[in-house]
Amino acid sequence: MSGAYLLDAGLVPYREALELQRTLAAAVSQRAIPETIVLVEHPPVITTGRRTELEKELHIPESAAVELVETDRGGKSTYHAPGQLVCYPILDLGKHGKDVKRYVRDLERAIVGTLAAFELEATTIDGLTGVWMPPTGPRGPRKIASIGVRVTRWVTTHGYALNVDLDPAPFTEWITACGLDAAEFTTMARELHRPVTVPEVKPAALAALAEVFGLELDALPADGGTGLWAQPVHEKLGTR
Amino acid sequence: MPQMGVSVSEGTVTKWLKQPGEAVALDEALLEISTDKVDTEVPSPGEGIVAGILVGEGETVEVGTVLAVIAPAGSAVPEPTPEAVAPVAAVEAAVVPAAATPGSPLPAAAAAPPSGNGRTFVSPVVARIASEHGVDPTSIPGTGTGGRVTKKDILAHIESGPPAPAPAAAAPLPSAPVAPTPAAPAPPAAVRPAAPAPAAAPLQQGEVEEPMTAMRRGVMEHMRRSLDTSAHVTSAIEVDLSKIVAARERLKQEYQAAYGVNPTYLAFVPHATVETLRDYPWINAELRGESIVTRPFVNLGIAVALEDGKGLIVPVIRNAQDLNLLGMARAIADLATRARTKKLLPDDVQGGTFTITNPGGFGTFHGTPIISQPQVGILGTYALVKRPWVVQDELGQDVIAIRPLMNVTLTYDHRLVDGAYSGGFLRDLRERLENWEQPE
Repeated sequence: MSGAYLLDAGLVPYREALELQRTLAAAVSQRAIPETIVLVEHPPVITTGRRTELEKELHIPESAAVELVETDRGGKSTYHAPGQLVCYPILDLGKHGKDVKRYVRDLERAIVGTLAAFELEATTIDGLTGVWMPPTGPRGPRKIASIGVRVTRWVTTHGYALNVDLDPAPFTEWITACGLDAAEFTTMARELHRPVTVPEVKPAALAALAEVFGLELDALPADGGTGLWAQPVHEKLGTR
Repeated sequence: MPQMGVSVSEGTVTKWLKQPGEAVALDEALLEISTDKVDTEVPSPGEGIVAGILVGEGETVEVGTVLAVIAPAGSAVPEPTPEAVAPVAAVEAAVVPAAATPGSPLPAAAAAPPSGNGRTFVSPVVARIASEHGVDPTSIPGTGTGGRVTKKDILAHIESGPPAPAPAAAAPLPSAPVAPTPAAPAPPAAVRPAAPAPAAAPLQQGEVEEPMTAMRRGVMEHMRRSLDTSAHVTSAIEVDLSKIVAARERLKQEYQAAYGVNPTYLAFVPHATVETLRDYPWINAELRGESIVTRPFVNLGIAVALEDGKGLIVPVIRNAQDLNLLGMARAIADLATRARTKKLLPDDVQGGTFTITNPGGFGTFHGTPIISQPQVGILGTYALVKRPWVVQDELGQDVIAIRPLMNVTLTYDHRLVDGAYSGGFLRDLRERLENWEQPE
């Protein structure tokens, strides 16, 4: 087990969270701070990865109130909005096997473990990174969590987004998320046939990450007004 | 294509961050590759000019494939031509001429070189070990991908001495030092390890001999090289820390209770130092050949002594100018712990632009530290002691008061920094510390 920080930052605009991740990753790669798990929710945003094919994947309606951000993570386009648990583990893969594929598989295991705590039996599909609900009756596989990662000097940024309770229509109507045509997207609430909140899912998500990566999490004060770094997000957290 | 884990056999080039003809520094981001849903930044394994890109964006190749050729700066680099962007099939052909130049091309696809006929790619770790031991890595048969010399290979080589069947390999190449160490006169065979030196003086009664650790050797070489490189001058100033002592008392409980961090003096001083460096960019600068390089950021090295006198490392707080006092306190505490518990490797401590050392913990009140190359300044902080001090009372009369005083030294490289400039820096730093106001 190794010590790690947990920064549960609440609702944070995508770009701010990206800056925060970069600062944390720099500090983690210097070993100035322990590995850090960041949990956030984002206001509605569509993000594109390096391999996004813009013309094919994006078909956002004029009326949609959504931000579009180009990022430096792997993977194709995706959609974030409140009701989705977004988890950015800033880990030093030097401590976790130095294997980028294994890291993605580990993230998948952590998500499957999180869902298991809600008695949802999720699965993974070879060649289709992410976590899926298996086909049931007439329904095909449904994607419940997406993964996109960047590695710099073996330190990770970005991570996974787990659909807890939000309208999944934008995944298919606004974009062709992950470049997957005809894929169905789902949420924990839909699968459980009851409302689920993000705070409800966090403890299970953290327990699963702690287990998979052997971390002992130590929560950072997120609302004391004096954060670790001078970031807009901290000012906001201070006035909450 | 670098190894990105045992389960990864291939990767896709997503973006070249450097184009043919562009200069690239050691460890600078060179390209991005993608595997599965992971994008990875690949740092340059050497410094020089990108002579040719062999795998274009969007192409997927196996681990070990040569992606580009980096030629040493100043060598006759062929002008980047369309042919330089050769398809993967042309890799072998493209690598041969490059390998004949004393640069460091990316992983050579050729088999283990039988002798030092050119430069094989070596990782920074191997290069460092090689230069520490005065060994030419190209003379060692490599067992890594594409005949690369791995850390294991070089350590085995050093342990066993040069292999018998390759006598020619033992001859040192007349080329430049292996690791790109700017301004380094690089003493090649000056320090050879363990192997009993023939003329060593016999041990006297009671004397004990032990081999030098790699860490010790690294410190030894660095210190010597620094003194050979920079024109060291040290100036000292006495700082009245009354306000800092009071501020620390105020903050101590709050920080301890809320964050578990003790705001040591060695958090206030770096904070004020980083602010002062803003006004004195040459002290946060570097001499690179004939040029003076300044920067808008401070990567602050904090010298940390390892336990039992095992050595010294200088972990670096990157972008220290962005840290508030709490961030600084926490970063320093974490760095020191990690350094002392060996969780920090020498490789993780590069890129500092200015250093602070604090030998004052033992009560010393003055010193003349050695600059950490290629920086041009190092700040020393010494024991905080109560001293009788002449101050003015409210009527403007001189009176003697008891004040907590700390000596602070700035050791600077007189090649770049002059006495007046350094004096101004120390004066402003004292000003900041003596008139400390909680900036939060």
